Amino acid sequence: MTWEVRVQEPAFDVGIEQARWFGTRHDVGAIVSFTGLVRDFNERPDVEALTLEHFPGMTEKALADIARQASERWQLEGIGIIHRVGRLLPGDVIVLVSVASAHRRDAFEACDFVMDYLKTRAPFWKKEHTASGDYWVSERQSDRDDADRWEQQ
Amino acid sequence: MTLTHLNARGEAHMVDVADKQETRREATASGRIHMLPQTLALLVEGGLPKGDVLATARIAGIQAAKRTPELIPLCHALALSKVTVDFDLDHDNACVKVKATCRLNGRTGVEMEALTAVSVACLTLYDMCKAVDKGMTIDAIQLEEKSGGRSGDFSRASERAALPTESPAVSDESGVSDATVTASKAGDVPSVRVRFLAELRERVGQESLTVPVASLANADILSVKRALRERDDRYAALDEPRILMAHNQTLASDATRVEAGDEVAFFPPVTGG
Repeated sequence: MTWEVRVQEPAFDVGIEQARWFGTRHDVGAIVSFTGLVRDFNERPDVEALTLEHFPGMTEKALADIARQASERWQLEGIGIIHRVGRLLPGDVIVLVSVASAHRRDAFEACDFVMDYLKTRAPFWKKEHTASGDYWVSERQSDRDDADRWEQQ
Repeated sequence: MTLTHLNARGEAHMVDVADKQETRREATASGRIHMLPQTLALLVEGGLPKGDVLATARIAGIQAAKRTPELIPLCHALALSKVTVDFDLDHDNACVKVKATCRLNGRTGVEMEALTAVSVACLTLYDMCKAVDKGMTIDAIQLEEKSGGRSGDFSRASERAALPTESPAVSDESGVSDATVTASKAGDVPSVRVRFLAELRERVGQESLTVPVASLANADILSVKRALRERDDRYAALDEPRILMAHNQTLASDATRVEAGDEVAFFPPVTGG
């Protein structure tokens, strides 16, 4: 299995990254990718920007651990995770999770799992900047419920 | 013993060195910058955003030695014949040791140049690494050796052996006696490093601090919270059930054991993705 996790400020190209990870593999029958973008509405309308903070060292470890757990639950050929930090604007890519497998079902489920765990276990924090002021985004019960689904299986 | 930078009236002045004999002068100084183990690992891998950290810090130290008289008011401008800056990566203690040596044939000593080189090299290391670690500390900047000139030779190791009861500002260089090593350990208070992240950092108004192990009722995270609470009410925020904690970058709980040199981080629930 090939895998990579990265936390970085610069923008990146989803297609280039995916080709770099899996482009030369002939044993991969399915790639499922999730791309997360900055929305211009969230807890308040008119989100102008957001700032993403992480915990250098621990965040990378947490992402690697999530990738490892996914590879133990499903038959995978590779996982790539890139998460951006710093100041981002509506429409910017925040996160890319790409999962490669021989068959689609494993890839679909593992990608879903990685995102659920990333949202509830990887140390990232969002601060939103709106016309009416800045605030730290609150955690969501729905994200926790999503992640809990995998515990019950 | 008199202060040579003060004249008979007690005013600062530059010492006239025209009549002094030219001799070969050499001085070595050292210092340390402490950082998180993972910062040191990134530095070794070359994974830091500003690029080659050690090469940049070395050039900064050499440049600083040459510009010492612009910074230290009563210091002479010297034509240095040699400046070296070397780094020793100490993974056990998560620090970079910096050593600078300056040499010339001249009429004044070069210890200020060596000390300035070490200081600026340490500051440059901080600048190069601060994107990933703002809690780094610089310490133990000191003269190690000096030779040539009327005031005679100086060597920290032999000085310390002669004066074992002096204050414990000694280096970690090998070759020092057991007595100085003991004194050095007594000088650093064994502590746990505490970090606050994101919204919690803004609420307590600070990024990091240290808590002496001696101030803990028990060697666990709960006691770290109690010790902070006693310092100031704003740390009551740490007791909120939603606040998470990590011990050496692994999720932890109140009961997790801590010891000197450990890092404990507190942060709100995560909201990435």
